[in-house]
Amino acid sequence: MEIAYAVDRATLEKRLLRFTRLVHPDFFATADKDERAKAEAASAALNAAHEILAHDWSRADWIVRHQGGPDEQSERAMPQAFLMEVLDWNETLESARAAPPGSIERAAVEQLAGELDRRRAGLLQSIAKKLASLPPAKSPLLAEIRKELNAARYVDKTLDEIALLRVTQSLSR
Amino acid sequence: MGFIELTVLNNAARQLAIGIDLGTTNSLGALWKDGHPIVLHPEGENGYVPSALHFTEDGRVIVGREARDRALLDPEHTLFSIKRFMGRGLADVAQDAANVPCPITETANGVIEFEMRGRKYTPQELSALILMKVHDMACRALGGLETSRVVITVPAYFDDAQRQATRDAARLAGLEVLRIVNEPTAASLAYGLDQKKQGTVAVFDLGGGTFDVSLLSIDEGVFRVLATHGDTHLGGDDIDRLIVQRAMEDLTQTLSAASLREPGFQQLLRLAAEKCKIELSTNPEAELHVSLPDTALPWRRRFTREEFDLLAGPLVERTIDACRKALADAKLTPASIDEVVLVGGATRIPLVRRRVEEFFGRKPHTELNPDEVVALGAAVQAHVLTGGTRDILLMDVTPLSLGIETLGGAVAKLILRNSTIPCSANEGFTTYADNQTAIDFHVVQGERELARDCRTLGRFKLRGIPPMPAGMARVAVKFHIDANGMLTVSAKEESTGATARIEVTPMNGLTDAEVEGMLKASYDNARADFDASRLTNLRVEIGSMLRGAERGLREHGTALDKETVLDLEDSMNAVRKAMDQDDVHALQKARDVFERAAMPLAAAMMDSVAKTALTGKRLDEV
Repeated sequence: MEIAYAVDRATLEKRLLRFTRLVHPDFFATADKDERAKAEAASAALNAAHEILAHDWSRADWIVRHQGGPDEQSERAMPQAFLMEVLDWNETLESARAAPPGSIERAAVEQLAGELDRRRAGLLQSIAKKLASLPPAKSPLLAEIRKELNAARYVDKTLDEIALLRVTQSLSR
Repeated sequence: MGFIELTVLNNAARQLAIGIDLGTTNSLGALWKDGHPIVLHPEGENGYVPSALHFTEDGRVIVGREARDRALLDPEHTLFSIKRFMGRGLADVAQDAANVPCPITETANGVIEFEMRGRKYTPQELSALILMKVHDMACRALGGLETSRVVITVPAYFDDAQRQATRDAARLAGLEVLRIVNEPTAASLAYGLDQKKQGTVAVFDLGGGTFDVSLLSIDEGVFRVLATHGDTHLGGDDIDRLIVQRAMEDLTQTLSAASLREPGFQQLLRLAAEKCKIELSTNPEAELHVSLPDTALPWRRRFTREEFDLLAGPLVERTIDACRKALADAKLTPASIDEVVLVGGATRIPLVRRRVEEFFGRKPHTELNPDEVVALGAAVQAHVLTGGTRDILLMDVTPLSLGIETLGGAVAKLILRNSTIPCSANEGFTTYADNQTAIDFHVVQGERELARDCRTLGRFKLRGIPPMPAGMARVAVKFHIDANGMLTVSAKEESTGATARIEVTPMNGLTDAEVEGMLKASYDNARADFDASRLTNLRVEIGSMLRGAERGLREHGTALDKETVLDLEDSMNAVRKAMDQDDVHALQKARDVFERAAMPLAAAMMDSVAKTALTGKRLDEV
């Protein structure tokens, strides 16, 4: 099978459904125990594969590891320029947590969210470029990609926190 | 003609399966017939089986409508809302337990038992009786056709323990469960087929005791759940309880506290409150009436819809909050929802309809009977599962994250909530002592950071690890959440390939009595294992606490006054003594006393550390 970073989302979803129709436990509910277990395992594997393929980050992460590049544990660095900004973001987020609704601090978080979306797109674009043709095994490029992936993960975590903040603030209690 | 039909049935390769909605208030069976699902009811009866049980003097248990009717005459021997106790312990259901008219206890293994007429019943056994009644009614509706295959629905937000309890109930009822299906998902099946829906759908399911909201994408027969949220302890029952409370406040002048709290009277009040609530859905005001205990005098209390809305408001807002959370998980906004479907009897409440409509900005669908739509959907799924069609595909999710406890009591999440099921995760374990042949791990479900704030699914013991030096064994444990949303755990020692399978073993082919006995035995064992592992952990912890205190006393004892030192030494002797016994509770107590007595020493040690660290530093460096 060809390994490629670029994935057409519509095709992916269509294939997921096609394969799921072949292996889903619902279609083996009256089969014997072995068959049912096989359907469960195949379906779980399919869902795991989809989980990787449906997300840009996990796709790139998989390719880097598959080509013998560093995983998250062995290469924890982020690009230098990125580090400085992280501190600012944390500060913005921290002051918004305690701030009352409608305050400047809250507005700053929404602005930050926009900025983070742009940063993330930038990082993933850069990764996509590096992965446009498959880097050779153990290529130093893989470590570069890992650093960008680390940064993107950081952005994602911050965006998740912002999302959580939005939900908590919208709750009635 | 009859003969030919019978032949066709006998030759049919597939056996039918009944869809059953096992509800908090009512239960119902349905079947796929001639191209659509139908509610099963015998000629001249409706198919609803009230989820009520009455215990007669001669030891019989009456289920359903008759039990419900008898509640009025003999409330003290009638039980309702058993579903709220499924897979729960006493501590989880304190509020519901207060409404139960009989003694309620917990087995050593944490299974609730109701004591009625000198016999104890678990929620599983009582739910089994309800399932049998529904199954019996369904079979009568089908003219005596026998099938033991069923699909049973549960709230989407049910955790593993609640699902297991439901499956155990079915096993006790002698039924073969083809699938446990989530109620809102089932409802979407019934709706999606009838209305030919396409797009993103929110199913808002407020039943008698539970609330779910599920967001799905429906497209050409594929029903895919995007996110689900809910509360397995929020429903129409809770609204009834608020009405009861309000009535009781008014009655404190009239009645003694004892009469007011009398279980029989409470039951009557609850039934009257439910009636009042139902009336308020169609009338702007309604009256609650009961006859008072002792005097049997009639008592009336008028409720207006405004008063009712004020009472129920906070509960309704909790459902809207759950909708917000589900939307956030699915990365959707209310505006991106194409259709809203209302399920469950409590969605007849005008306030609920209004708030749902306001929140999603569109009129919710109510075409199908909210009390029947779940059973109908279960019948659709039963049709799929028995090979009736491959055009419908249901992809559901697990409602709660699954994790294991790590050092320090934190949770390492292995499977995130809203992951499509079936799904698996692998985790590696190793030994920490030479020749260790068993490893314990604690599996939890929930979103909180600490294991103690999540729900324990089980403490598992991996046995049969070949003896080898510490850290050499590599045990791969596989966690699998199946299409029922239920967990199985399996393990393999990788260096030797030895397999150790750990799961709740299915018990096919046993009698009800055997299943019951085995279930109880397995629960009792689980509790014993739990105590044993707690004892081990406590001993390890206390050992290191003692070593710390001994060293602390040597190095910093002089900083403490004599009495504090004596206190500490006493508590250390006491805890050492307790370590030699096998009493978990006594050991825990001694540990806590020791910990408190050691606090001044800890403070002295901290002080000294801080002084050392600060020595030689200028104030502005600190």
